[in-house]
Amino acid sequence: MSTDSFAMTAENVSVWFGERKVLEDVNLSFPARQVTALIGPSGCGKSTFLRTLNRMHELIPGAGLAGSIYLDGQDIYGEDVDAVSVRIKVGMVFQKPNPFPTMSIQDNVLSGLKLSGRKIDNAAEVVETSLRRASMWNEVKDRLGDQATSLSGGQQQRLCIARSLAMNPEILLMDEPCSALDPGSTRRIEETINELKDSMSIVIVTHNMQQAQRVSDLTAFFLADDNVPGGVVEFGSTQQVFHGPIDSRTNDYVNGHFG
Amino acid sequence: MGSKTPVPDTAQRRKLAAGPLSSGDKWFFRSTSIAAYFSFLLVALILIFLFSQAFPILQSQGIDFVLGQEWLPEKDPMVLQLAPMLWGSLVIAFIGVLIATPMSISLAYLIQFMLPTKLAKVATTLVDLLAALPSVILGLWGLIVFTPVAAGWGEILNRFLGFIPIFAVEDTENAFRSSPWIAGWIVAVMIVPIITSVTREIFSQIDKDLINGALALGGSKLSTFRRVIFPTSSSGVIGGVLLGLGRALGETVAIFYVLNLVMKINWYSLLESKGGAVASWILARFGEASPAEKQGLMAAGLVLFVITLVVNFLANVIVKRAQPWGKNS
Amino acid sequence: MANFIQNQPWKRNSVSRRVQILLAIVVPLPLVSLVALLSGLDPTMTFITLFLPLQLFAAGLVGYLSYGKRGFGDAALLFITTFLSLFVLILLMSVLWSVVTEGFKALSPQFIYQNNKYVDQTTSLEFGGVGHAILGTLLLILMTTLAAVPLGFAMAIYLTQSQSKARNLVRTFTQAISGLPSVVSGLFILAIIEATGIGRSGLTGALALFPLMLPTVARVAEESLKLVPVDLRYAALALGSPNYRAFFRVILPAAKTGLLTAVLLGLARIVGETAPLLLTLNPSSATNLNPFDGGMMALPTYVYNYLASYYDTSQARAWGASLVLLILVAILFGTARIIGRQKSLKSKGKK
Repeated sequence: MSTDSFAMTAENVSVWFGERKVLEDVNLSFPARQVTALIGPSGCGKSTFLRTLNRMHELIPGAGLAGSIYLDGQDIYGEDVDAVSVRIKVGMVFQKPNPFPTMSIQDNVLSGLKLSGRKIDNAAEVVETSLRRASMWNEVKDRLGDQATSLSGGQQQRLCIARSLAMNPEILLMDEPCSALDPGSTRRIEETINELKDSMSIVIVTHNMQQAQRVSDLTAFFLADDNVPGGVVEFGSTQQVFHGPIDSRTNDYVNGHFG
Repeated sequence: MGSKTPVPDTAQRRKLAAGPLSSGDKWFFRSTSIAAYFSFLLVALILIFLFSQAFPILQSQGIDFVLGQEWLPEKDPMVLQLAPMLWGSLVIAFIGVLIATPMSISLAYLIQFMLPTKLAKVATTLVDLLAALPSVILGLWGLIVFTPVAAGWGEILNRFLGFIPIFAVEDTENAFRSSPWIAGWIVAVMIVPIITSVTREIFSQIDKDLINGALALGGSKLSTFRRVIFPTSSSGVIGGVLLGLGRALGETVAIFYVLNLVMKINWYSLLESKGGAVASWILARFGEASPAEKQGLMAAGLVLFVITLVVNFLANVIVKRAQPWGKNS
Repeated sequence: MANFIQNQPWKRNSVSRRVQILLAIVVPLPLVSLVALLSGLDPTMTFITLFLPLQLFAAGLVGYLSYGKRGFGDAALLFITTFLSLFVLILLMSVLWSVVTEGFKALSPQFIYQNNKYVDQTTSLEFGGVGHAILGTLLLILMTTLAAVPLGFAMAIYLTQSQSKARNLVRTFTQAISGLPSVVSGLFILAIIEATGIGRSGLTGALALFPLMLPTVARVAEESLKLVPVDLRYAALALGSPNYRAFFRVILPAAKTGLLTAVLLGLARIVGETAPLLLTLNPSSATNLNPFDGGMMALPTYVYNYLASYYDTSQARAWGASLVLLILVAILFGTARIIGRQKSLKSKGKK
């Protein structure tokens, strides 16, 4: 079933940690081949929401969710849906680079395929393609057998991106991928994001509003109060959210009045 | 958002639970669960088997099993009573802990706060290695090397402090050796490494800022110890001491060689050549025991296990509560 | 007399200060020894009643002169700590020293590989040895390891990987068995032996050692697995990995050295155990490699047998066996330490 131009849609999603409701009634649609940024002050549930998109939220004991999230027309939280199949289609890059320390660069790139049990027909090709897409082939092509931990922080993060890309996901989720990196590495990753969006959708959580403006096509602004579940205050094109916000709270945030 | 009227929770909340993701996962979790429940099984089995063997004895002897002082397997009906051994175990463990604790804390303090780092690392390794020292070696050393020395100390204690009942002795010719005093010392040497390790670990976890803050305020080393180090580490150290106590109660071979086991309670005469210890008693009587007496020994083992269970449980509870500033936070 | 009170505590000790401290440490000993010699007092008494108080006084005096009232407290702390630590270190070193020096006398190549089949109480040390005991110990620990390690690891995996609510209960029970007195473990197996009628053998000995090794392996393995950063597991799962593959391909390799340490520490725990074996395994002077039948000698039971002998040669054998046992424990322990240190060096070298 065609999903039109939406890669993923969240409908009436509410999220709990145990008894505490942290997100209320989120409705977002992520168009195909576009970058959506999720912005908002700390602790308002952006990362938590991101984790519901690839069914990682349920790894936390006591996790709860209401609503539906559609991927390829199917609710990923449906009765018979296997979480693994979801995660194969929805990749994730974490805040802190986490390449597998006991594996080489090459093995790291292939690790997703091996871990999900897929047969690899042309390993070398997969490795090269993924590393090129992550803009790091030239840097490491001569030392694919080196330990992944011998790379710098920025390189490790791009290795993690390559690792996710090797799975050919439809959507790539990025949870503040540059917050632990220096400006130079950050810039390179932003360039990579720009190149990647031709082939996939990207949803990126970021604290950095300049970054959101640089890389994203759409922006969703999350907000939460003390003891009140968070939610989406405004969602629209990046241009509009930053330069002509509808809601006054959005205005306050993007102009640095709080957060 | 933020409206005061309660919104009916019409959304159907689903509780998510990350379960096994494939049949491979099912096997994985199932087999590890089975293995984990094995620990229940083991404790339960031990208790059941021991109890099944011990029950007839416990039944026939009643409460006198732990209160009485006669062990007469030949008599008809058989009388098996453990009090002298139980009391003896407690006395020796107590002496051991009393001797070991100040020494252990001192050693831990020395290693953690006074030695230069390199030396401290060597000392730590040495202490940890000594904690793994087999007790039979300690028994050998205790019997041959240490007994004469400690007996000498006992003799001095008797000479100068003999008016105090615990140091009094009836016949100085036949006392001092094979006494609770000696056994207590051996046990102390055995548990010092354990207590030192735990204490040193706790000292190393104390937030350095606390100590530096106290020193910066003009505190001396002594006052820093009394007011900062000691209070924050005391519950953890107590836990370590209890661990040592548990070990002391279960010690068998080392005590066996240095103590003269006598079936009459030696309440407080530490320097007399008579005492008791449950584990060593079991070992001593074992070889020539009739089946019925063996059951009595099983009952003794059961009592010992229960005691050490309680002590270790307390120790773990206290140590766990003492680590809020530890690695986990 | 110059003002001795230290007004500037951060200043390094002046030369005169250092001389004072040195004197305070060094002077009491010869002084007291002289008094003791002249008056014929018993050495231990002299130590307790003369030396210690004098040393404390000297240390306290220097402390007081340097820092005033609090200097005295600090000096007293220093004194007590040093004294008690030295005392206990001397005791502990005495154990090691005795084992090494006495054991060395019995040590020889033939001692290591021969058994005691034709040896009695008075046979000279040229004959016989602990060969059968070494083999016995190795065989026993091998058998115990075969059961304790997989089970212990599985328990550690359960405690760290599953989300079951029963975890705390499992941990509590594991801690409960870790306090099992070794003789009671022997009694337990003995109870089974008597109830089922199977004979004593190497197997029953290993069964008696098993409940002693298991909790150690499980506990150390659990700690090693906990040290693996949780985001590695998340990364693997986010890539679409089922739990067991994430465990075997990512977490286990990362915890390799810690798990090895768990095994080694478990071994060190049981290699010196005597009481359980005394109850469940008949000793033998010959070499027996069959674990299912017949008696077997192990190093600790060997020491036990020769320990209280009247004859010097037998005692020497006991010391010799103790030394071998000590070396074995030291090897196990040392290996665990080296492996542990290598791992932390590796991770430190990255930044």
